[in-house]
Amino acid sequence: MIVAGRRGEGVRLVLEAEEAMLLSELADQVDPVLLLGSDDDPALERLLPNAYPDDETAAREFERYTRGSLVDGKRQAAQSVRDATDVTDGRDLVEIELDESQAWGWLTFLTDLRLILAERVGLGDDGGGSDDDETRDDYLRAAYEWAGFVQGSMLEVLDPTDA
Amino acid sequence: MTGTLEQPRVDADVDLDLAARERIARPWRTVVWDDPVNLMSYVSYVFRSYFGYSRDEAERLMLLVHTTGRAVVASGNREQMERHVHAMHAYGLQATVSRDDSGGDS
Repeated sequence: MIVAGRRGEGVRLVLEAEEAMLLSELADQVDPVLLLGSDDDPALERLLPNAYPDDETAAREFERYTRGSLVDGKRQAAQSVRDATDVTDGRDLVEIELDESQAWGWLTFLTDLRLILAERVGLGDDGGGSDDDETRDDYLRAAYEWAGFVQGSMLEVLDPTDA
Repeated sequence: MTGTLEQPRVDADVDLDLAARERIARPWRTVVWDDPVNLMSYVSYVFRSYFGYSRDEAERLMLLVHTTGRAVVASGNREQMERHVHAMHAYGLQATVSRDDSGGDS
């Protein structure tokens, strides 16, 4: 994967077909959580946090007003990544140019994805999973790390530090 | 003792002033909480892009979140804070609306 600047604002990505396919698959992870996830799914709680942990009424009210647009925004971000990484035409390399607002869609998708994956593999809690889960966890963990790498690389281009 | 000549002044205006001062001293706040998932560079970029903070200020707030577990990133009236928290959730940050000082200092 190559992440580079482009003329004007934004970022240019060059992905190998497999990387594009992986991203596209990972983008499929978002809709099920948002649309099918039960309300006590911890991943859903990460995507739609409680704005008023100490005030149930205010929390419900806030959720009522914000949930629809949050869900739409997150689904659209995932959809934009899915569209851009469509490799059904058999290309070896996928070149993607994103302006600043499109890049935000990718950054927020990668964030949502990592929030979901972190819950699925229980990153952050030390409870050891069963052996059966280990292969799946390895895959999810690798995807989590890789999504972070993609996001970090994009940020280096979009928000270069002086160094 | 001066008897009853000097009565304590119970003045409605003074009480209103106190209440107003109280409100100003304790406005609503937008609190962002630490999250081991989000990249530090991302959090800082969000603060800069959304709130328009300077690079130094965004970095300072991000580090405050990272090291102390939370930071007050904005304060003002309730509607504004709810808009900010809504935006933070859209970016994937863990944020809450808070009224008292339990959100920590910025």
